[in-house]
Amino acid sequence: MYVMFAIRVPTKLTRNPRGVIALSLTVASLLLSSCATRVEVEGSFPAALTHKLPLRSVVVFDEAFANHRFENTQGQEVSIDVGEIQVELFTGLATSLFQHSVTATSMPTLPKADLILKPTVEDVQISMPNESQLKVFEVWIKYNLQVFDATGEPVADWIMTAYGKTPTRFLKSNTAALQQASMVAMRDAGAHFITRFARVPEIQQWLHHRSTSTASTTDSTLP
Amino acid sequence: MKRLISLLVMTLLLSLSACTTTTVDEYRENSTALTLKNGERVVVLGRRHYADYETEPDFIDCIGDKLEADKKISVLPEKEFSDLLYPWFEPRTAPLGLKRLAKMLDEPLIAQRFKEQGLHYMIWIDGSTETTDKDGSVSCAVVPGGGGCFGFATWEKTGTYEAIIWDLQKLEESGRVKVEAQGSSYMVAIILPIPIVAQVQDQACSGIGQQLRTFFKGHRASDAS
Repeated sequence: MYVMFAIRVPTKLTRNPRGVIALSLTVASLLLSSCATRVEVEGSFPAALTHKLPLRSVVVFDEAFANHRFENTQGQEVSIDVGEIQVELFTGLATSLFQHSVTATSMPTLPKADLILKPTVEDVQISMPNESQLKVFEVWIKYNLQVFDATGEPVADWIMTAYGKTPTRFLKSNTAALQQASMVAMRDAGAHFITRFARVPEIQQWLHHRSTSTASTTDSTLP
Repeated sequence: MKRLISLLVMTLLLSLSACTTTTVDEYRENSTALTLKNGERVVVLGRRHYADYETEPDFIDCIGDKLEADKKISVLPEKEFSDLLYPWFEPRTAPLGLKRLAKMLDEPLIAQRFKEQGLHYMIWIDGSTETTDKDGSVSCAVVPGGGGCFGFATWEKTGTYEAIIWDLQKLEESGRVKVEAQGSSYMVAIILPIPIVAQVQDQACSGIGQQLRTFFKGHRASDAS
């Protein structure tokens, strides 16, 4: 099924040079506005249903992370602003997973914490139905979650991927669909973080080492 | 005379509605009706883990509305459920089988949340509505004096869904309902485009919703007698 459109321009307008410029600008702006998709991801996340780890954490959101914007200039122009929402996501996740959590904008020196988390965005990819031939909008986000101990020594570089998709719907705009798919991807990142954090081998080892050293310290203080 | 003709044409076009064929199959574990005690609820969830499609959220809401139609079955909305149980029922983490659900319910935090919400049955819906065929074309033109469209287009949609009922107390499957709805839509354009759309997804929802209701006590022919 094909639907075609045509616009006929009055010849009076094309004879006047000013008219031609005005017409060109109008058509150009119309085309640009119809092609560009700008999404500022907004929403909220529920508190995670999980046991809290007996740890104090500092989550570092640097400027690049807090203002991250995905720009796609090849093909259809798409811009997705994920900075603010991902700060909200990771703040909530740390509050749910750790007994005590604070945020910072730069790496702290000698913090009153057991571990420092520094998430960074490695990559964002999107797929639109006109590219994939599937009837879904898809968003992938690759995070690198750097984990440090209280002295700033690296514990783990955890590459965490998140995926979200939403089905196409009649009269649903690209903006609304990408917003929804981004929110699904963020929730997926949260699910990955909560269910896998303590199972990452390096973190698991660090937690084990920490619990045994705490136990031995406690034992040595016994009379 | 012209008025009469246009009135006749309009009446004819309005009376035309595209047809939809719906086939419903069901499977019951046993003939016993499912019971819901006072304060117990049902949750309807969509499967979203496949790469190429996902069960539409509005279809899940539609089934919830059909189940709740006569206020005898209380349904916990999908969004509310997935927020309350976050992150355990996201596409990545949701249990695909009863064994995995049983393991999940071994976790006291999750089991407690289920209990608080009075959940007795979980209904999983898997499927989607797809355009299976399309043909024809419609052209539209806009000129300073006006504009219009001309042409004829047709498209066919098929909705295939399966509902699986899990008993959360016995941790067993209670039944399945499968529905397939097909319908052809048309668009005739003579100056104005006139769409005649088949409500495939709505018909599939009605079919599956009504059938699911018959599983519950108070909705079966045998219960009435």
